[in-house]
Order: sequence, then C-alpha cells, then structure tokens
Amino acid sequence: MIDPAFIQDVIRVLFAVVIVTAAYIISTRNMISLVSVYALQSLTLVFMALALYSLEGTTVLLAIACITFASKVLVIPYFIATIQERIRIKRDIEFHFLSPTTSLLLSMALMLFIYIALAHIMEGTPGRESLFFFGAVIGISLMLMGMMVTFSRKRAITKVLGYLTMENGVLLFGMFVTKLPFIIEFLIIIDLIILVMLTTILTVGLDSTLEDYHNRLHRFHLVEDTEEGP
Amino acid sequence: MILLAIILIAAASLALIAVSRTNRQMNTVCIAEAALFLSIAVWLLLSGQVPISSFVIGSQYFFIDHLGLFEVLISAIIFLLAAIYARGYVEGLIETHELGKGSLKLFYGAWAFLLTVILLAFFSDNLALFWIFAELTTIVSAMLVAILYARDNIDAAIKYIFIASVSMLFSFVGLVFLFEISRSVSGEGTLNWTVLVQQAHLFPTGMMIAAFALVFIGFAAKSGIFPFHTWLPEAHARAPSAVSAILSGVLLNVGIYGIIRVFAIVHQTPAVTTLSPLLLVFGLLTVGIAALSMLPQKNLKKLIAFSSVENMGILLIGLAIATPLAIFWVLFHIMAHAFTKASLFFSAGILHRQYHSTLSADAVDDIRDVFRLQPLAAWGVILGGLAIIGMPLFPIFFSKLFILMQLGAVSLPALIILLFLLFITAVSLGYYVISTFTQVSRPETRDDIVAYDTPLGMKVPVIILLILMVFLGTVFTTGEITFLDRIVAELMF
Repeated sequence: MIDPAFIQDVIRVLFAVVIVTAAYIISTRNMISLVSVYALQSLTLVFMALALYSLEGTTVLLAIACITFASKVLVIPYFIATIQERIRIKRDIEFHFLSPTTSLLLSMALMLFIYIALAHIMEGTPGRESLFFFGAVIGISLMLMGMMVTFSRKRAITKVLGYLTMENGVLLFGMFVTKLPFIIEFLIIIDLIILVMLTTILTVGLDSTLEDYHNRLHRFHLVEDTEEGP
Repeated sequence: MILLAIILIAAASLALIAVSRTNRQMNTVCIAEAALFLSIAVWLLLSGQVPISSFVIGSQYFFIDHLGLFEVLISAIIFLLAAIYARGYVEGLIETHELGKGSLKLFYGAWAFLLTVILLAFFSDNLALFWIFAELTTIVSAMLVAILYARDNIDAAIKYIFIASVSMLFSFVGLVFLFEISRSVSGEGTLNWTVLVQQAHLFPTGMMIAAFALVFIGFAAKSGIFPFHTWLPEAHARAPSAVSAILSGVLLNVGIYGIIRVFAIVHQTPAVTTLSPLLLVFGLLTVGIAALSMLPQKNLKKLIAFSSVENMGILLIGLAIATPLAIFWVLFHIMAHAFTKASLFFSAGILHRQYHSTLSADAVDDIRDVFRLQPLAAWGVILGGLAIIGMPLFPIFFSKLFILMQLGAVSLPALIILLFLLFITAVSLGYYVISTFTQVSRPETRDDIVAYDTPLGMKVPVIILLILMVFLGTVFTTGEITFLDRIVAELMF
C-alpha cells in the first residue's frame, strides 16, 4: 500500500501541471502544440483519477480514468489534429477583447476569487477538507480559463479547445467534490465527441470557400455525391 | 416498455431515412415518426395512468409526469406540423440550390434524431440525464441551422453551439452541487427529480442558491434569457423556417422546462426568497432588451425571433411570482407561445419563398403586393402577430392578463415597467406589418414578380395552428384545466 500522504503530494503536483497547461492554452498562438498540450492536460486528469482511486478505492474513478484516456487523450486530439492538418491552420493570432497577458492576469484574479467564493459557500460542509476543496477550486478555475479561450479567440478550432478545457475543469470539479454515477460521465463523453466532431467540421466550412467546403465534406464522406453541384 | 418503444421508433425512422432516396420519402418518415410519438403521448394522456413510475418505463432514470407529458404533446404536435410543412419548403430550398440534395439525409436524420432526444429529455427523471439530452438538442439543432449553403448559417450555428454549450457546462457544475447537497442530506446522492423535490425542505440555503444560480446560467442560455440571448435571433432567423418553428416552439421550452424543474426544488427551500427577485429582474431585463431590439427591426424573421426572447422573459416573470395561479398561467403561456410562434414562422417561411431573392437574414424586407401574391401568409402573420401581442380570442391574451395581474399583486412598479415594454413590442409588430404589408408595386412592374405557388402542405399547418389558437383562446375545457392543475400540484407549488 502506498503512503496516502505521498499520493496527496502527487495530486498537488498534478494540480500544478493542470494550471500550467491551462496557462499555456490561454497564451499560445501555435495551434499544433495546443492540441498536444490539451492531450497532456487530459493525461494529467487520468493520473489524478488513478491517484484518487488509490486513496479512496471507488471503482467509478477507475472507469473515469479509462474513458478519459480513450476519449480525451487519444480520440479527440487525434481527430482535431487530423482536421488541422487538412485545413492547414498553423497559427491563431486573432484575439477578441483579451490579449494573452491580460488573460493570464485575469485568470490569476479569477482563481483567487473562486477560492474565496467557494470557501464561503462550502463553509461547514464536510467537503471542505483541504485537498478536495483545492480540487474544486482548480476545477472551476480551469473551467473559467477555458471559457476565456472560447470567447477571446476567433478561430472556431481554438474555441473548441477552450470548450474542451472547460469540460476538463468540470470533470476535475466533479471528481473531487462528489462521485457521479458512471453512466452520466459516460454520456458526457459521447456528447463531447459529437460536439467536437460537429464544430470542427463546421470550422472546415468557415475557413474555406463554400464550394471548397463541400468538396472537403465529400472527402470526409460526410455527404453523398450530388447529381448537381452547388 | 415505453422507453423501448420510443427507441425502436427512432431507430426505425433513422434506418428508413438512411435507405430513402428522395425528399418525399424521407419527409414521410419524419411525418410518421412525429405522428407515432404523438399517438403514444395521446394514449398516455387518455389512459390516465400518469404519473408513471420508472418501473413501467423501463429505467430508473426516466419517469413520466404531467409536465413531461404536456411538453411532449406540444413538441410532437409542432414536429408533426413542421414535418408536413417541410415537404414543400425543402423542395423549394433544393430548387433554389440553397440546400444540396446530398445534405437531405443529414437534414432529415438530424430532424428525426432531434425529436427523439427532445422526448427523452422531457421523460428524464434524472436531472443529469436531462442535461445531457438538452445538450444534445443544442448540437443536433445547430446542425439543422448550419445545413444551408451559406456562410452566415455556419456562423450562426457556431455561435449558438458555443454560447449554449459553454453555459450548459455551468449548469452541470450546478447539478454536481445539487448531487452533493442531496448526498450530504440523505447519505445516498441522487439527481432524480422526484426524490430531490421530496428531500428539498432539508437542503441548506446557501448551497441551494449557488446550485440554482449555476443551473440557471445554462438553461437561461438555452431559452434565450438576457444576457445569454445573443445567439437566438441569428440562429432563428437564418435557419430554414420549418426549423425556426421548432427552435422557437420546442427548443426554447427545453430550457424553460429545466428552469421550472430546478425552481420547483428551490421553491421548497428558504432560498426562494432570495432567488425569486433575481428571476423577476432577469425576466424584466429580457423583455426590455427584446422590446428595444424589436423597435428598429425591419426583418420579419428576426422580429419574430426577438418576440420569442420577450416571451421567455414573461415566462420567467411568471415563474418568479411562484403562486400556483401564476404557475398555471406560465404553463398555459408555454403552450400558447409555442403554437403561435410556430404559426408565425410558418407564415414567414411562405413569404421567404415568395421574396427569397431579397429576403436574406439581415436585409430589410422588400415585401410588395403581399395580399395579392400570398394572402394566406399575410393573414397568418397579421393574425399571428395579434395573437402574440395578446389580443382577445387568442390564448396569449389570458396568460398575459393573469400573469400581469399576479405581478401587480407582488410589485406595482414591475407591473408598470412590464406593461410599458409590452406596449413597445406590440407597436413594433404593428408598425412592421403596416409599413411592409401596404407596399404595392407600380402598375408597370406589377407582373415582374411571379407568384410563388405555395404547396398545400405549407398552407395546411398555418391554418390548423390558427384554428387551434382560436380554440385555445376561446374554449376552456375542464380536462385542460384539471391537467394544468395536476402539473402545478406535482411541482408542489
């Protein structure tokens, strides 16, 4: 049996990794590494679920680790990377409203705010143990950081990555605060995969002319051949 | 059992669409699917077994109560009429190359899937399951918005997906909160609504406020409540009209339904005193923003879309009052608004086909000789407009009147503000109709516009809805009143 104190330290280190990946996603302009960093962030969550499993022994956590690994470390990043290759966007340099530096400063302020707000809401509930409380704070912060990416970037594909980061935050929050039934976690992944597929396909449409778009859809076998073209 | 039947019908519909080749075949499948679902709902209504426990349905996560059945009945009727309408409408879209023939399968597949997901959402007992189905409705309906050959549509769909989905994640965090609250109270955490509403009086106030606020963000975005309404006018205006009717008449209800369910739980706790004023403020702001956006609006579909925002605000205000009578009329308003809005979008769709060259989503409508070319659609818009602003003979008259009276008992200033805002929306609609429908082309250019030969299938839904509206606005059957009373009782208001 591994020492619980050691595992708690491991989880703290993983928290730091998650925050660093989120900061990178907020500030980078390089789209290729964005996907890899997202995969790394998801992998961190997998390790975190495993670490929590060794602490608590709830089998749901093991199942979460498995589906997170399959979907968010393998399938989704692979899918986005393939699409990116096809549409050949390397850099996303257009920011609405927020520049990366402001976003980083803002996210630090957000984390502080969430810490105080959650401390206030969870006052007196049993969930207010240090590690679990910290998990909740990091989860919501990650979520808000993802939201900033979604609303401050122009390219839809970066928006998708922001949304995915948000979802990771929700997963993290759910993992530390309570134990949801596995079916719910599973269905969320399905929902996520459909959303990612649809939005990335629509992105292909936005980043090309319409005729080009429909040609590309043919290449992906998403629509059937028409007798008469557009 | 019931669950199995729903899934079988859906699977059969999707399979049939996959093997069909023409618009007519696929459309027939969609009509049949909606008709079958409607007959299941009517059978449930007549059998008198409602509320049905999870055992009969086939899963512990589902249940059928009067509210769920009510929403399913409305949705199935609108889907059925919209499918009948879509046959001619989609044919027109293909002729003008606005929709590729290759996309037909995707269109009808998404259509059939959307109805199934909506049904499952309304029959979910488990709130997290409801959340997932609601989220799926966003994605599938966005697909229906994006399907037309236009970049604007893709833009609108992406905006819709991101605003709704991002907000829905906050809802999910709220549900995690709710789960944890229930776990701390009963030891065994659950998100089954039937259990939560029974336990609710034990829930701690502070946590409950936080949970509701988070859940509200997501469902408010889904139902176009201020400040999350920005996606709505674009998505509703740019979607094909058959889809607009569904977006406005059915999908907005999904969001409001979520708010009603969670608010029913809140209503059992002291948190309601904090949250009711909040709902009232959001409701007034929503109506206000909608009214001010409607005033300068020169595009019919956008005008109707903003009117949906306005009506969602009214529903929120009714909910905030939270008396049994107010809830009764909120439910009635949901039904009345759904049918009225569907009829308006159907009429607007006919005008869209007639004047399609100039009637883009942003352009000012260049509607001329409307009474000569499309008399039915013109009268559809006029009567629908009268209905939506709440004229007597139409159902919204009663729901607006009673919600306003109830509001007057709670807060007189709020009543005065709301009356003023409703006046603005009525003026905007009236001004639009008078200024555009009276335009007549000069005698020499009169023959330039060729009348669009509206298929019968596009006219019938408008007529049926108008008759239904007048019926609902003039006759109150005891069955209807008992049914709505049962919903209010089940929600424990």
